[in-house]
Amino acid sequence: MNEQAALMRDSVKEFAKQYLVDKATTIEREGIGKDTLAAILNQGFIGSNLPESKGGAGLDKLSHSVLIFELARVSPSVAMHVLLQNDLVLPLLESKPELIKGILSGEFPGVYINPMMDGFIKPENDHLLKGVIGSSSKYAIAIHSDGKVYLDYGKSEIDNDSKPLGMRGLGTCNFNVEKSEVLGEKDLADHLLLVSSLDIASIFLGISQGALDLAMEYTKVRKTFEHPLKDYEPVSFRLSELMSELEIMKSALFSDSIEEIMMLMLKNQAASFSRKVTRYALQFHGGYGYLEDFGVEKFYRDSVALNAMIYRPTVDKRFLATKLYSDKSGFL
Amino acid sequence: MNFELDEELINYKEKVRAFALKEFTEEVARTHDIEEKYPNELRMKALHEGIIDFMNPWKTMIGIEEMCRVDPGLGISATVPYFGAEVLMLHGSDYLRENYLAKVISGEKMMGLGVTEPGGGSDVAGLKTVATKNGNEYVVNGSKMFITNGTIADFFVTLVRTSKPDDPAKRHRGLSVMVVERAFEGFSSNKLTGKLGVRATNTGELIFTNMKVPEKNLIGDEGKGFYYIMEFFNISRIFVAAQSIGIAQGVLDRTTDFLKKLEASGEYVGEERKFKLAEIATRVEASRLLMYKAASFLFNYKPNPTITSMAKGYASETASFAAETAMEITGQTGISTDLERFFRDSKIMEIWEGTSEVEKIVISRMILKGEKNE
Ligand SMILES: Cc1cc2nc3c(=O)[nH]c(=O)nc-3n(C[C@H](O)[C@H](O)[C@H](O)COP(=O)(O)OP(=O)(O)OC[C@H]3O[C@@H](n4cnc5c(N)ncnc54)[C@H](O)[C@@H]3O)c2cc1C
Repeated sequence: MNEQAALMRDSVKEFAKQYLVDKATTIEREGIGKDTLAAILNQGFIGSNLPESKGGAGLDKLSHSVLIFELARVSPSVAMHVLLQNDLVLPLLESKPELIKGILSGEFPGVYINPMMDGFIKPENDHLLKGVIGSSSKYAIAIHSDGKVYLDYGKSEIDNDSKPLGMRGLGTCNFNVEKSEVLGEKDLADHLLLVSSLDIASIFLGISQGALDLAMEYTKVRKTFEHPLKDYEPVSFRLSELMSELEIMKSALFSDSIEEIMMLMLKNQAASFSRKVTRYALQFHGGYGYLEDFGVEKFYRDSVALNAMIYRPTVDKRFLATKLYSDKSGFL
Repeated sequence: MNFELDEELINYKEKVRAFALKEFTEEVARTHDIEEKYPNELRMKALHEGIIDFMNPWKTMIGIEEMCRVDPGLGISATVPYFGAEVLMLHGSDYLRENYLAKVISGEKMMGLGVTEPGGGSDVAGLKTVATKNGNEYVVNGSKMFITNGTIADFFVTLVRTSKPDDPAKRHRGLSVMVVERAFEGFSSNKLTGKLGVRATNTGELIFTNMKVPEKNLIGDEGKGFYYIMEFFNISRIFVAAQSIGIAQGVLDRTTDFLKKLEASGEYVGEERKFKLAEIATRVEASRLLMYKAASFLFNYKPNPTITSMAKGYASETASFAAETAMEITGQTGISTDLERFFRDSKIMEIWEGTSEVEKIVISRMILKGEKNE
């Protein structure tokens, strides 16, 4: 890991310890509040990967993925907020410097819909966007029924009727569109998701690390049949295996140079790995794992929800297969 | 060999499904899930409409599966007011059966089972709650954790220690089961909130502080509590298998529906997703056959703990597998429909009434002891 990335890791860890750890459960229950949004902004996390000429900190790719990883380890919702802003919203708003300025100054939080799926959902209605991720803003970015990416202006209403499966800290709202403007073709969103592969892998691996941290701690202290859980092979062997897999993926994630195709491979592996790890971490907490207060169930929910939100297995696997065969593959 | 249900069971299954489809509407399911509220009205309706039939365990099993298939939280809620009843049926005195069991069966009262403690659930014999004999009553001190119906049941079949084990290596000796009423002095309870799933069910912590329990509330013989509870788990694990298969089948129904609609609308489905569907369907069938085998041993009075643990263990892992895989197949649709509730509900199956690890301990131990499974 280079010096800039190591510095980033230490400072995010410190921020997480001083600020996020105690707040993580509240964020899950009540959303990322204004205070946390301000703290993230003060730390310079939002826009950190934008070039300095555009008001950002010009962070390199590796340092940015370290940032996402360390945040996800404690609060996947906060990591997701930073990832969505930095990797999707800000690049999509390239032609709107005044909006970028608004986001970087904290004038308004970004708002986004989940537009990036395998073509599962198209909005039923381009005037009312349902289930937009984010709590309130005058702006939304959405793919409309014609498949293009739009910037929508309008009003949002917090959706109190539903409790999302994952990333609860982000909240959801319904957005009444008053005016729309094309930001780009659908390919644009696809492209951004592809170039964000490393950060998406980071959030999956940060979630995995967070869940494993808790499971390792718990299995040291919880006793059954007069032994700590770590003394049982099915517990300690499984956690060791998972930790090994994670460390191998982290060594790829945090290497100073990683090829583009490796980023995609890593994202694919990390997506399914995080589901497995978080399931075991919950399981080894027994009944306590099933309660929000213990903080481990959120990693399981977030991992599964994230898979649905920004991970597009068919698109990605076709891309990968085609690269590996050096020929169009995975298409009938 | 015949793998089909008889006509009576087929009719009963249809009746339960019709009941669940009518009563477990999305609105009812969602509200009870979000508000973490127990649906008492559904318990009474299920009872009055003859959905719960204690006299026929096959019906109980199939009824649980059908209800969980429509909504796990509500399905479990409708069938769990009797949780622990088998201990009273098998070992309760006439007094206990008349005063407690009969009232639960008539719907007048609700019950629960208190085994798990804050310090442990898998290690049943490690419990710390102590009952000391004083004249013709016991004085009970301790607590129970994660007890279903904990803040709403009228009484609990509760496992306590009545004497020190005669050998420290045999901690399962000296345990007894007794009926503990909410109304007893020294009883208190707290509701546990913020569960991942099955949020319509009520879960609580029970606290006993110098609680006096009449001697006549002892179930069966003093010192045999551990065996009674293990015997009970061999019955109830079949019903947890039924809950799990209900969840997995419900997930399969919804995923099939999703893919059919996608295909009909001309969208891309792909072989990968179809293969995943096939895998869920295969596991559901395998789990159900295993459950039927365990049930046929048990309901013919030849209980086979190995097969029962296999059925519970495999079915519960199938529920998690099905729900997780369905979320993968359905993507955004899955996280914004009732499938996400099925996903959250599914995970408890691998935890309660013997975790997946505990089931594997039982299975391997029995196999190595040379138990026969035919
Ligand atoms: C919603 C809910 C409702 C419940 N309802 C009831 C109820 O009505 N009545 C009741 O009595 N209980 C109830 N329970 C408790 C449940 O049965 C226990 O949570 C379960 O038995 C596990 O016990 P534990 O939570 O103490 O986990 P622990 O026993 O502490 O186990 C923690 C982890 O370690 C693993 N483990 C433990 N020992 C070993 C070993 N030797 N080898 C390998 N792995 C091991 C376990 O499998 C688990 O993964 C309920 C729990 C929940 C969450």
